[in-house]
Amino acid sequence: MLSSLQNPRQAAAQLLNFALMMSTAFMMWKGLSIAADSPSPIVVVLSGSMEPAFQRGDLLFLWNRNLLAETDVGEVVVYNVKGKDIPIVHRVVRKFGTGAHAKLLTKGDNNAADDTELYARGQDYLDRSDIIGSVVGYIPFVGYVTIMFGEHPWLKTVMFGIMGLLVVLQRE
Amino acid sequence: MYNSINRLQTVFGFFTTVAFVVAAIIAASDFTAPRTPSATIKATNVQVVKGRPHYYSSKKEEYAIIRFSLDADLSSLFTWNTKQLFVYVTAEWPAAPSGAVAGSGTNQTNKAIIWDTIITSPSSDHLANIGPATLKKLRKSAAGKSVDPSRGKLSLKNQRPKYQITYPTGKVANTEDMTLHVHYNVQPWVGMLTWDQDFDFALWKKMAKGISKVFALPAVAPKKG
Repeated sequence: MLSSLQNPRQAAAQLLNFALMMSTAFMMWKGLSIAADSPSPIVVVLSGSMEPAFQRGDLLFLWNRNLLAETDVGEVVVYNVKGKDIPIVHRVVRKFGTGAHAKLLTKGDNNAADDTELYARGQDYLDRSDIIGSVVGYIPFVGYVTIMFGEHPWLKTVMFGIMGLLVVLQRE
Repeated sequence: MYNSINRLQTVFGFFTTVAFVVAAIIAASDFTAPRTPSATIKATNVQVVKGRPHYYSSKKEEYAIIRFSLDADLSSLFTWNTKQLFVYVTAEWPAAPSGAVAGSGTNQTNKAIIWDTIITSPSSDHLANIGPATLKKLRKSAAGKSVDPSRGKLSLKNQRPKYQITYPTGKVANTEDMTLHVHYNVQPWVGMLTWDQDFDFALWKKMAKGISKVFALPAVAPKKG
């Protein structure tokens, strides 16, 4: 480590290496986002309202394009309620009409009642534009790390610290 | 040079690679299992009543209560990668007559789930939202089996719907051209979520039958008493 500090050229190279790693991850995320046409193509399940299908910490892959068919009843969608910033993963249970202004109603498999209570005041149904993607792929548990980071923010600092340190410590 | 951090990194990297490859192979194995689902469904008793969306609402709406009989064989959908099967029955009908647009009559434009059920695999019984007594019974029914295709056989007679459906306008009485459809959604342990298909795809056949005869909703039932 000390040797790298003595050699500014090497220190700069290591810093660039770290920046490259970060920007590659960012580019892959944004690329996936463009392919799936979704602002957030991979989400982590945060609640148990879709159990036993999805548990907390499971990773979901979203697809937001209607290439072959419209978003339909039975699909599991992720939506944002106007004015709230928490994405919700629930199943579409009713659909009235077709096109961009079809009225959609959702419900969690594990909930007794539909989502009318969760929607914004005066909102009885979702529009297609409220939905940020339909679930197409599933990997269990892998996303639990982010829940841990969310609940214990200091872990994030430690993690970034270790990552940065590793890159600087590594030669070449 | 090899120091302990390097080695730890290599081990972790190798572990994730292996884990993802194994997961990908498991997910791909879904395509090697043939699927031959079939179902017959029939509306047995149809009723329309007036009610309120919830206790504190003064809005009066019409609700359709559609009883049905269902016989389904979905046992081929249970494989080692099946976590649960979500079976749902929808009522589907074309646009309301009041908003009739020429040429749109043939499309099924309204769809509502009237009944659904979650069938867990024996491997995911512990995740189901059921009481301890029911869980014990369920476990016993599949003792020693990790995959239990017999759970995919459904036989319901004159089943009461779980959801009483209405339309955004609150009027559903006398709706015509209504049909009931059986659908399913296979939730895997890892991989792609799949639904019933409209067409055959490799080893996966489309749902045989699974659509009821066309029926119409009656007028609002007169108040009793």
